Amino acid sequence: MTGGGLGNAREVPLETGPFTLSASGLRKAYGATVALENADLGLKRGAVHALLGENGAGKSTLVRILTGAARSDAGAISLHGRSYSPQTLIEARAFGVATAFQELSLVANLSVAQNLLLPTLPHGPIGLVSSRRVLDAGASILDRHGLGRVNPAAQVGTLPLAERQRIEIVRAMENAKSVLILDEPTAALAETEWLFDRIRSMTAGGVAVLYISHRLAEVREICTEATVLRNGRSIASVDLADASDEDIFEMMVGRRIDHQNRTRRQPAGNEAGARLSVKGLGGRGLDDITFDLRPGEILGLAALEGQGQRGLFRMLSGLESPERGTVSIDGREVALSSPRAALKTGSGIAYLPEERKTEGILAGLSAATNVILPVMSAAARAGLISHQAEIAAARPAAAKVEMSDRYLGFAIADLSGGNQQKALVARTLATGAKTLLLYDPTRGVDVGTKQSIYAAIRAFAADGGSVLFYSSELPEVVQLADRCLVLYGGRIFRSFEGDDIAEQHLVAAMLGHSAGRGGSAR
Amino acid sequence: MSSLSSSGRAARFPLQAFLSGLTSGAGVIVVIYLALYALYGYQQPRALSLPAIAALMNNTAPLALAAAGQALVVISRGFDLSVAGVVSICNVVLAVYPIGGPGGGLISVLICMAIGASVGAVNGWLVAVLRIQSIAATLSTMIICQGIALVILKAPGGAVSNWIADEMTDRLWKTIPVSGLVIAVVIAVWLAIRRTDFGLSIYAIGADEQAASLSGVNSRRVRFLTFVLAGIVYGLSGFMLSAQTATGNPTSGTPLLMLSFAAVALGGTSLAGGKGGVFASVMGAAVLMLLQKVLFSSGVSSFYTGMFQGIALILAVVFSGLLAHFGKRR
Repeated sequence: MTGGGLGNAREVPLETGPFTLSASGLRKAYGATVALENADLGLKRGAVHALLGENGAGKSTLVRILTGAARSDAGAISLHGRSYSPQTLIEARAFGVATAFQELSLVANLSVAQNLLLPTLPHGPIGLVSSRRVLDAGASILDRHGLGRVNPAAQVGTLPLAERQRIEIVRAMENAKSVLILDEPTAALAETEWLFDRIRSMTAGGVAVLYISHRLAEVREICTEATVLRNGRSIASVDLADASDEDIFEMMVGRRIDHQNRTRRQPAGNEAGARLSVKGLGGRGLDDITFDLRPGEILGLAALEGQGQRGLFRMLSGLESPERGTVSIDGREVALSSPRAALKTGSGIAYLPEERKTEGILAGLSAATNVILPVMSAAARAGLISHQAEIAAARPAAAKVEMSDRYLGFAIADLSGGNQQKALVARTLATGAKTLLLYDPTRGVDVGTKQSIYAAIRAFAADGGSVLFYSSELPEVVQLADRCLVLYGGRIFRSFEGDDIAEQHLVAAMLGHSAGRGGSAR
Repeated sequence: MSSLSSSGRAARFPLQAFLSGLTSGAGVIVVIYLALYALYGYQQPRALSLPAIAALMNNTAPLALAAAGQALVVISRGFDLSVAGVVSICNVVLAVYPIGGPGGGLISVLICMAIGASVGAVNGWLVAVLRIQSIAATLSTMIICQGIALVILKAPGGAVSNWIADEMTDRLWKTIPVSGLVIAVVIAVWLAIRRTDFGLSIYAIGADEQAASLSGVNSRRVRFLTFVLAGIVYGLSGFMLSAQTATGNPTSGTPLLMLSFAAVALGGTSLAGGKGGVFASVMGAAVLMLLQKVLFSSGVSSFYTGMFQGIALILAVVFSGLLAHFGKRR
């Protein structure tokens, strides 16, 4: 028996109909901003229900209400036919409603086991927490969810992002007796097999699952029905079998997305013309990384988690020093000692980091300040800088990512995840660097934002800029890259060009299969 | 390829565990203390005698306890300036209203703890409930407390009860210093608390309050109780200071304010919260006090003491930072 299954005290009364949880007319405003206007939702026992919508559509607010982190201004929720309005997270948990949050809610300085068991840890005979029992309990939870490889004593902060995400999910599953809410559960996971397996065992135990994701393919695989939110309203609840992707996109953004007409440019370039040239780079789990990045080229990097992509980006951005090998910019060998040095060296390298919340945004400052941070002095007059000057300086870069001007004056922490990401992409563009390193540039953002970011990247390359990006989403690599390197075991395993960049080829190479058409090993 | 690197990681593990044990615990500061004590003993062979050890402990106790309380608040990611006020109030109360005998001593210590708990409760209410930044909230309570201390005793004077002044600075069975025992009890209580949900929650909210709340920790309650607990320990600090000085002074707590932070940092507790411990902070305080003695016995003018304490602080923080760095790097 996994964590699923209904507690004895909460059997479903027959008269409540098919819904484990149903919400109607939910409304929530933060001051003058209406985050959620009128949302309805119905979750069925043992079914996986998708919640779709652009960033800022109100998904997070809805989750916060269901999970007890916020209270709705209007509307009603019923759980098993009884009124449900949790005041705190603990109360929601007592009702068997638990959430795996998108911005993970694990405490970095505690162990995996302690995190799984918070806030109440198993006690020994004299009432003190027994570290052995904590570890045992943690290990048995991990085993039950197929994560036996994780050391329950490891500090959470030392684990890779993907592992942390899995632990966040496992903890929610342990606490979800009735309703499990998964907010972007695959944002950091490269494969979904483990997750879907766990979800299926939860639903088999009668748990209702609310699944929030921007990846439609995943949603189709695991969910049976979906509710679409737009501008704080629930637009529709549909059976996924009856709705095409285009229907759903249209409901989400109110316009059809054009995925076609992808023209790959093959920039003519030679060794001497390479803007960024990497030779024999090694260290931090990487070995013999050699490639060139030419002006006007968008180079994609595809890999499963932990193949060294993180180290590569950190070395090229100056955050870490390589142990072996050389990096040349515009034909001159350089030593990148810091991100600032990387920005100032030659034509410049700008880096978009992986973790928006901790490495990217400066939460207390305005979006405009966040955008122009690297070029602050250029916006200053006699060394002083005004709020208006900041906004004016940020406007061109913001326009490139289709970020609305009205957001520039807001504190960036108050913006949706999608707008935060746009601001960060705008920041890398504003630096004036000719080479961009983008690490998962559209992690956890909605379809509309994605298209804006893609357009900005393409426009940048068309202007002669060079882009190296890693993405955890293969369709993104396929759609965006002129050329694609596949990293496996710390080495460049294969490289693909032009029409050979197709998902099935990439997947095979990412798993270390050398068979396949088209690619050439380097 | 991947199996090779993972076995390499396993082989590196013992050293890493050793280094992180050294840095996360009180390893560094204990080593520094022992080295310093050896130097002291070399200069002054009499320093190794029991009375000398007891005298040093008596000297150390007020700061050690102030640092212990401060460490609690710092671990939960906060600063507590009210330590100076609490110690001053306790001191003047004991000097103006001395209660004789062992029973009087017991009542006195309870009064001190109650004073600390009350001030801590006010701090906790301001910080946890009203969400005022801890440095602003405790600055206000410190100023208020110092005002109260001045109202109770206008100028240095008064006398602490003889029983407290004698017994609390004495040695049990002519060996164990009572002041050392008091510190040991506080550390023991902390080690027990550390192994409760509450203790773990202090570290959790110190590292990431939002994540801790989303994990189901009642951060408001934990923060409130942390200030109350810290206040109680400050009360003990005031009690031990009074036993040491045997007289009252409305500003007696002030020197402890900055030194309590220095002791906490010296003990390797991160001022950014979430890391460190009470024992290490107590050892940090012990090093600061021992340093004074060593400098004095080396013939360095006491004018230079502060300078050396500051330099020691920088060196210790840099050193433990380096250790942590190499501990993390394979």
